[in-house]
Amino acid sequence: MQKFILQRLASILVTMWLLATIVFMLVNVLPGDVGRKVLGPFAPQEEVVAFNQRLGTDKPLVEQYAKSIKRIFTLDFGTSYQTKSAVSKIIFPALGRSAKLAVLAFVVTIPISIFAGIYAARRKDKFADRLIVNAGLASSSIPEFVTAAVLLALFAVQFKLGKAFANPPDGTSLVGQLKYLFLPALAMAVAYFGYIARMTRSGVINALSADYTRTATMKGLPKGKVMRSHILRNALAPTITVISVQIGYLIGGIIGVEKVFNYSGLGSTMLGAVGAKDVPVLQGAVLLVGLVYMVSTLLADLLIAYLNPRVRLDGK
Amino acid sequence: MSEVLTLAPDATEAPIVSERKQARRENWRLIRKRPAFIIGIVILSFWVVCAVLGSAITPHDPLDFRAGSHLSPRAEFPFGTDATGRDVLSRVMAGARDVLRIAPVAALLGVIFGVILGMMMGYLRGWFDTIASRIVESFLALPVVLIALLAVTTLGRSSWVVIGVVAALFTPVVARTVRSAVLAERDLDYVTSAKLRGESNLFIMFREVLPNVMGPIIVELTVRVGYAVFTVATLSFLGAGPPPPSPDWGAQVSENYNSIISGFWWTVFFPAMAIASLVIAVNLIADSVQSVMEAS
Amino acid sequence: MSSTTHSVESGAGALATIPAALAVEGLEVAYTVRGIDRAVLRGVSFSIAPGETFGLVGESGCGKSTSAYAALRYLPSNGKILKGRVMVDGNDVTKMTTDELQRFRAKDASMVYQDPAQAMNPTLRVGRQLIESFTLLGQSKQEALSSALEALRKVRIADPARVMDRYPFQLSGGMQQRVVIAMALACDPKLLVLDEPTTGLDATVEAEVLDLVRVLSQESGCAVLLIAHNLGIIRALCDRVGVMYAGKIVEQGPSSQVFDDPQHPYTVGLLRSLPRHGVRKTERALTTIPGILPLIGTSLPTCVFLDRCPIASDTCRTVEPPFVAVGFAGASGVTGERFTRCHHPERIKEMKEEVTQVPISVLAPSETQPNVLELSHVSKTFRQRSVSVPALVDVELGLSEGETLGIVGESGSGKSTLAKAMLGIETVDAGGVVSMGGTAVPSPTGSRSAENKRSMQMVFQNPDSALNRSWSVRRILMRSVEKLTGVKGDEANKRVEALAAHLRLTPRHLDLKPRQLSGGLKQRVAIARAFAGDPRIVVCDEPTSALDVSVQAAILNLLADLQAEQKTSYVFITHDMGVVRYLADRIAVMYLGRIQEVGDTDDVFNGPNHPYTEALLSAIPSVDGEEKVRIRLEGEIPSPANPPTGCVFHPRCPRAIAGVCEVTEPPLREVSPGHSMRCHIPIETLIELQRKPMQR
Repeated sequence: MQKFILQRLASILVTMWLLATIVFMLVNVLPGDVGRKVLGPFAPQEEVVAFNQRLGTDKPLVEQYAKSIKRIFTLDFGTSYQTKSAVSKIIFPALGRSAKLAVLAFVVTIPISIFAGIYAARRKDKFADRLIVNAGLASSSIPEFVTAAVLLALFAVQFKLGKAFANPPDGTSLVGQLKYLFLPALAMAVAYFGYIARMTRSGVINALSADYTRTATMKGLPKGKVMRSHILRNALAPTITVISVQIGYLIGGIIGVEKVFNYSGLGSTMLGAVGAKDVPVLQGAVLLVGLVYMVSTLLADLLIAYLNPRVRLDGK
Repeated sequence: MSEVLTLAPDATEAPIVSERKQARRENWRLIRKRPAFIIGIVILSFWVVCAVLGSAITPHDPLDFRAGSHLSPRAEFPFGTDATGRDVLSRVMAGARDVLRIAPVAALLGVIFGVILGMMMGYLRGWFDTIASRIVESFLALPVVLIALLAVTTLGRSSWVVIGVVAALFTPVVARTVRSAVLAERDLDYVTSAKLRGESNLFIMFREVLPNVMGPIIVELTVRVGYAVFTVATLSFLGAGPPPPSPDWGAQVSENYNSIISGFWWTVFFPAMAIASLVIAVNLIADSVQSVMEAS
Repeated sequence: MSSTTHSVESGAGALATIPAALAVEGLEVAYTVRGIDRAVLRGVSFSIAPGETFGLVGESGCGKSTSAYAALRYLPSNGKILKGRVMVDGNDVTKMTTDELQRFRAKDASMVYQDPAQAMNPTLRVGRQLIESFTLLGQSKQEALSSALEALRKVRIADPARVMDRYPFQLSGGMQQRVVIAMALACDPKLLVLDEPTTGLDATVEAEVLDLVRVLSQESGCAVLLIAHNLGIIRALCDRVGVMYAGKIVEQGPSSQVFDDPQHPYTVGLLRSLPRHGVRKTERALTTIPGILPLIGTSLPTCVFLDRCPIASDTCRTVEPPFVAVGFAGASGVTGERFTRCHHPERIKEMKEEVTQVPISVLAPSETQPNVLELSHVSKTFRQRSVSVPALVDVELGLSEGETLGIVGESGSGKSTLAKAMLGIETVDAGGVVSMGGTAVPSPTGSRSAENKRSMQMVFQNPDSALNRSWSVRRILMRSVEKLTGVKGDEANKRVEALAAHLRLTPRHLDLKPRQLSGGLKQRVAIARAFAGDPRIVVCDEPTSALDVSVQAAILNLLADLQAEQKTSYVFITHDMGVVRYLADRIAVMYLGRIQEVGDTDDVFNGPNHPYTEALLSAIPSVDGEEKVRIRLEGEIPSPANPPTGCVFHPRCPRAIAGVCEVTEPPLREVSPGHSMRCHIPIETLIELQRKPMQR
């Protein structure tokens, strides 16, 4: 088991390095002057030179690359072109705000969608199942910003529920923040519902048709007990994987939702950085997202190993 | 061969079971019976017609701003007008064009590259698979929308950039699916048999194995088209889509969502619903294809 | 079909005085496939008395498993009972409420399944799953724990506490099945249903499990319903047997009577297609049943066997045959307990066994010519996570022209690795040499010359896996002809057609995909492909184990015939002793990667034998009902990664010599011309020991 965790940690390091390389290549894919690109065509040449010197963007690419790789492993992402403050000072608080939104969304959606998935599996091919499956399909295929815009139009404007601007004023109590965060979190919750419910459904359907379920039923165990002690433990592994993978995709959706609700999380920060061509911020944010994704998949794997002795004891 | 044996009754001298053909016909019959599939096809066809014919069939010119600004829905303008007085219905009808041009091409390219990569990973295994799997894994950690945004920022705003980035980001996802399908195939004995008669790897991969993994590939293609529509719409909402006068749906939502609070919901609601209807249609089709293929 | 539900359908007959533990009456079941209801059971009736063991046999798809599951009302979601009753203790299982059904399963009926590895929850410890069976009956945790330990002891598990603490996947197949049996017997059921309980287990383990089932069911006095496709198992275990065909029981009676004197044309055909009574390919070809089993849902208004029956008359085509009692004046003299669903049981004797067939000529091994294939010092060691696993150890084998070498062994014996090493699919360890016609050939396959590739081809176990399912038969054969012979175009096409005709495939078959062919036809295509370049050697890896016995017979006939004609040599890998006895000229017995015994088929079957071969032969349940003394092997087959010291068989060998066998590994010694074994015991002693059967 220790070996398993060590292997995974090593693989995270390798993946982070690859990720940094990909981002570096993407940013430097076009030849040319970073200072000129950032400052625009009308900035005086000496300002551009000074800019490049300050940021080290006049150095050879190899040197820049080595520096940027070193930065990741020290979690020092450099300074923002735009605000000239440390990137980590910008992205970590932003991540905290986005995380708040994401956690709220998950708290709402995980129990509901797992329950819906189990219910659909038990009523397979019945009306309730088709309803849940198709609602899930719709909810996960509609872009989050669309849901967010519709929710905004419906709730914030028509019913005066929730807030159109999701940034709570400083010093708002946790419960008070809920009022602000509720609508954007709901928009995201709707998007995850489909993935989680559908994955739970197929996991439970597989477990229902498994031989061990037949054994348990033929033993004469009551239905509820079969579900609790035999099916769920086996059925939830794929669901856990999906939830962890969704944490990575989530960030794409969060950009749209944060934009609609003018929420200053990591998504808005990144969008701002794109607009201002603030490469260090963008690079830092992408790497941070990658790290969050990998830590969450690692946690999911550990949870699966806990649930499934085969993974734990065989190491595979 | 001895006479007697040829005359002997034989268990394998059986009537041929044309089960396969039957199954395919029954699959088609089954998929047509699925209301989800029919609804998906109807909606998709509607948007394809709108995209092809464009302003030829819209009630007004989607770019013409002579009507009053922010008129609420009424007989002449069923979906109302926007801030500059353009007819929302006409703009929604004309807005399908960009997304329907970009998304399928991006998905198709992603699937083609993904198939080639996944095929090589799954069949060749060894160091190539180990390294490629690592790279694929790190690609999966990339937020698609964000990377696309980054690419559009550095490479410029054009449909080809969007197509390229979306295809590049889909490639590893498709490759992973294809890889696992190929892994299941490569251990089958027909592959061993091909090696025993001295076939090349290339032949085995693309002539022997590929036809047998077409099922998951077709499913993956339909699913990818859905994701591509999703991504392209989101990108254009975030300002990386076609430039302003274009009636693209994502751009319409982006232009107008700030006016929702002022009560002009229709400028956002209808393009948003248009996006929703298209992605749902594509996903309904993908889902039907998948469940019928998996059932057989 | 309801019109002729005969009065004797309940099968109560001679047992009328005792109330049946299970009575299935006119059961009809259908599966909904692609929206259409398709009949699977077309009125199945049988009954089992308390303490009686009843077997259902038949080829795959005949509905025997469905009958068992329907009896406990556990059908897949697309299955439904259309008609009929299942009476247990005066209650109709088909009419029970959910609660009653649950109580019935908890207290009165139990089941043991085909695949024990899947039958237990992989995520829960064995102990917890077993204890659950007892707490369900109202026992306290403490009581249940001791009951569970006791139950494991009853199924002859030596260290129950340790097994309780394990997860299912940490146990061997035989061990898993014992635990499942312990679970099934927990409630002391009135009815025990066994669905292919030993399929997939090794022969020696299978024999152990069957012993256990026999002893325990006698002890508990429950009624047993046994489903098996292996007729030997049914004969060994069952008092009475029902032969199923296309969803109906076509014949029923005491098993010895049914197997020795079948009264339905299908039973006759089934039994004759087995290589029985030690018959060899040199004596006669096997008899086959023409045609195939009708697909489920096919409309069969009269006799279900009509299309394949050699004695069908006009009556058979128009009137559904009743289930009639057959007078049997055998040793027991019991009448009224044998039934056949046939209009013309009196004409059964007209079905002649085709003993007149031309004997197949076999070449005598030539002394002068070099062996077509020779393996010398061939070893193969796999590396698994830095552990070396010896899969083959110092194998020496020769194969002469036109000869069939049978290779038998249980799982882990290395028989498949041996085939791969011959073909160059696996490279062999340094020092080992594979030579063909006297010259060494390299491995892997890709580095062999075209001539070498052409000369040695393979027929695989499973034709579904061996044939590319998206290619047509013509393309499959064409490609092999082109690659192996070098001819192209029209000439290649002509060769394909000739090849197909030779294997009795019609031109119509050539344009079909494998999925459109029956199992036997598919295997025929696979054989045609192997013969595309006129090979000298064909390696057959269990080519008939995925096929039903009637189809197996046709394939074995075909292989024997091709060999007689083309002088091809076969390496025939199998676990079926009957098949290998029929087809092989010589047999090599493998255990843990080593050849333990090799010799002419007669020598191997008549003895003296290596103690392992002796145990293996005694473990096979025979359809012929001959009395055998079973040699029980202790323990499990060791892992090849961790072989025992000395003779690898010594920990399980009932004849091991202490102080010798665990110290040094015996060499492969010739005990008589052409007959060698790897054993320390002097041959005279073995002959002496094996003359009088061991009493245990």
